[in-house]
Amino acid sequence: MGLSYNAIEAEKLTTAEYYGKALHDLAVEHSDVVALTADLAKSTKVAAFSKAFPERLINLGIAEQNMFGVAAGLAKNGFIPFTSTFAIFAAARSLDQVHTDICYQNVPVKILASHAGTSFGQAGSTHHSLIDFAAMRSLPNMTVMCPCDGAEAYKLVKAAYSIPGPVYIRINRGFDAIVWDCGPEEVPFVWDKATTMMEGDDLTIIAVGSCVFQAIQAARMLKADCGLNVRVINMHTLKPIDKEAIIKAIDETGCIVTAEDHVIQGGLGSAVAEVVAEHGKACKFKMLGHDNSFSTIGLQEDLLSIAGIDSNGIEEAVAKLMNLNIHENESWEDEY
Amino acid sequence: MPVNYKPFDKAEWLRLEAKAHELRKFTLQTSIWGGSGHMGGALSAMDIMTILYHRFMKHDPSNPDWDDRDRFVLSKGHAAVGYAPLLVDLGYMPVEELHIFNLTGSKIGMHLDSNKVRGVDFSTGSLGHGISLGVGAALAGRMKGKDYMTFVLCGDGEMNEGSNWEAIMSAAHYKLSSLVVFVDNNKCMIDGRVNDVMSIEPIDKKFKEFNFNVGRIDGHNFSQLNIAIEAAIQNFKNGGDKPTAIILDTYKGEGVDFMKDDYVWHYGTLDEEKATRAFASLEKYYEERKARAEREGK
Amino acid sequence: MPSNETRYANKVFMAGALPLMKIIATDDRSLSKLFRNVNAVYQVSAMADGEKEAVHFVVTNGVWETCQGVYGGSEKIDAELAFSSMEKMNAFMKGDMTKLPSIKIKNIKKFGLFMAVLLKMSSLLNMTDAPEDEETALFLCKLYFALLSTGISALNKIGHPSISEWTSKSPDRCYQWDIVDHSEVAAYLRIAEGKSKAGKGIYPRSAPFVTMKFDNAYSALLILMEKGDMFDMTANRQLIIEGGPEFGVQLGDHMVTVGRLAK
Repeated sequence: MGLSYNAIEAEKLTTAEYYGKALHDLAVEHSDVVALTADLAKSTKVAAFSKAFPERLINLGIAEQNMFGVAAGLAKNGFIPFTSTFAIFAAARSLDQVHTDICYQNVPVKILASHAGTSFGQAGSTHHSLIDFAAMRSLPNMTVMCPCDGAEAYKLVKAAYSIPGPVYIRINRGFDAIVWDCGPEEVPFVWDKATTMMEGDDLTIIAVGSCVFQAIQAARMLKADCGLNVRVINMHTLKPIDKEAIIKAIDETGCIVTAEDHVIQGGLGSAVAEVVAEHGKACKFKMLGHDNSFSTIGLQEDLLSIAGIDSNGIEEAVAKLMNLNIHENESWEDEY
Repeated sequence: MPVNYKPFDKAEWLRLEAKAHELRKFTLQTSIWGGSGHMGGALSAMDIMTILYHRFMKHDPSNPDWDDRDRFVLSKGHAAVGYAPLLVDLGYMPVEELHIFNLTGSKIGMHLDSNKVRGVDFSTGSLGHGISLGVGAALAGRMKGKDYMTFVLCGDGEMNEGSNWEAIMSAAHYKLSSLVVFVDNNKCMIDGRVNDVMSIEPIDKKFKEFNFNVGRIDGHNFSQLNIAIEAAIQNFKNGGDKPTAIILDTYKGEGVDFMKDDYVWHYGTLDEEKATRAFASLEKYYEERKARAEREGK
Repeated sequence: MPSNETRYANKVFMAGALPLMKIIATDDRSLSKLFRNVNAVYQVSAMADGEKEAVHFVVTNGVWETCQGVYGGSEKIDAELAFSSMEKMNAFMKGDMTKLPSIKIKNIKKFGLFMAVLLKMSSLLNMTDAPEDEETALFLCKLYFALLSTGISALNKIGHPSISEWTSKSPDRCYQWDIVDHSEVAAYLRIAEGKSKAGKGIYPRSAPFVTMKFDNAYSALLILMEKGDMFDMTANRQLIIEGGPEFGVQLGDHMVTVGRLAK
């Protein structure tokens, strides 16, 4: 899949910058695109947009509930508002407005939820969002998406314009590992179909967002440490979920591990479990994520490790599930 | 200037009184068809809704999506039992729709669904959302170079919700003079009188400090309503830089003597005996209203 | 009784600097020619509290193998630089020519070859400015990266406080040094719950946790020769940290630790 880390491109943008660029490019193409923010224009990098279209960036100050209501009002009157805030404020604080003004009225408001999961690690649980997939998945009419890196975010944001009705797009703080080492135009993307990142038939890891990179590394480690051929699926769209990809994984690999920077209760794992249960075929299954717990303060890399959803955690979980010894051939001798 | 703008003379005043009376009866009837309803708050709001739709608002029942129409947000969405009859009366929907008000399978109920009910701009019911929606509509109008008004009708208890104040702040910040917020100040909420449960007074001063133009009037006096609404519209047409708030001092259950000013009638049922008394009370009330129009009208 | 500071510095020389002789003898064209078909055993040692600390090299048909510790094989040691104390060895390695070892020579020719490599290493590591030709600059980077990876790992294994605290708290993570288009000079350091392993080239098992990637050899040497500032260089993309920048800074701190001990 062309995952090379050796090229440095001066134009490589962070995820937030890709969001800003996508928004700008959409606004150039479509005069009905407006951007709303709640005093987080700087954090969500809409500078390019605001420079080119200052009259189309509406800042509502630190008032997220109002912002979503205003977005619905605009959407009902001919505009496509891309409305951004931190994920927890979209999913918790403003859930009534999202539920009633946006989803119930089924209006094309595109919610850009940033700083999701534990990506704002050092800010602590008041600014983490471990519950947003569950909240948003449960809302009728809401499409739920989450790109694995910046280039995919660009593709996804542009796709959101054409997806009818409300769309929820979850991204992190902006400093994601690069998964697609290419320009956004080369990222293979079909909005309602999962992307297979690595082929394999021994087991499947289904991951979303920041866990996709971790899953890919885990798959590489499992190959190096015990010769396993692991299928890695990037489930960038949680709703509507690509049932076919999950069923294929059950039928062809017989073992699924899911990984998400979200609580286990109600997110990707649950969504996949729904399909596994209804398919009715025996399948080894393990959900990785935060298990009914809030995260502590720390750098996101460490928080992912503590939650067992970094590459090591995923590898360990697979090893446990499949009864493998991954440390057998390890050497700690220094190479001279 | 609104379409069909007529001078507010005695004839006009009496016309509005007749319409409001008709709609108050229709409200009670709808509630009876549905089994029960939020009658108190619909009756207190009937005068403002009547004068808006029958005197001031640009709208077209044959084209509910007409982009130049004035917008109306029933932020106190539970007053649907009064708003739906008004829309039916104007021709937005057939009256048969109201026969099954609130019943299983009906398109029309306690809180109106904008996707199902013609003529309803926004789905409301969760309090404190309407002004935000109105800000969005007003901003859209400005960005498209339109000159439509956006009227939002809120309840007084509803003003407890903090989300209102976010919206109010933003309306003033964006100088949305095409936005007019009415507060149906009937002084009652579910658990009791507003002053006892969670007071909002001095509500007019609060709006003023939030940089709105403010008026405070008798919400059951068409002459005062006319002056206030006309001033609000003029403010926009003259390029004003502030939105307007009009506090309507009203009575819950206005028109029905046993409901008036009693918080218990926020939501209730009219059995046959009560229905008879209620309709009789409305007739008597109408006579009083007509008499005042005769007395004070020009 | 050597102080901790002395022990740590000595470890950097034994496990970081001196092993570079193998790389130099192998990669330098003229030196590798000299060692063709040569078999030899070399050792550098220092006494500490009656114990001998050492690094030794076994050359078989010109192929070098580096080993920590005293040579225990059956061949004779062709040449040994035996320092009477760690302090003396450290001083010598830092350039003090008055602190000479006792030199035990069994084969003068092979000793000559050893000294040629040692002198080459000294001339390379004593450079204060980057060499003009890119090939030498890249080679110097390779040496530095190797020194840092084995040096930090060795310090961890003998319990250097800040380094071993860092490794003990860390999950299994790999820190990579690299130069764009020149991964032949790369080196890495894998750490996990107190363990450490230095490696050459690009970490094969998965993407490294952090990669300190320089756009060319000269940018790398600015940092390695402590002439550049990490933050400035990151800002103008001479240095790219792939992975969490906070962790890149941690690695930078330990690089400085090694650098300070060796000066």
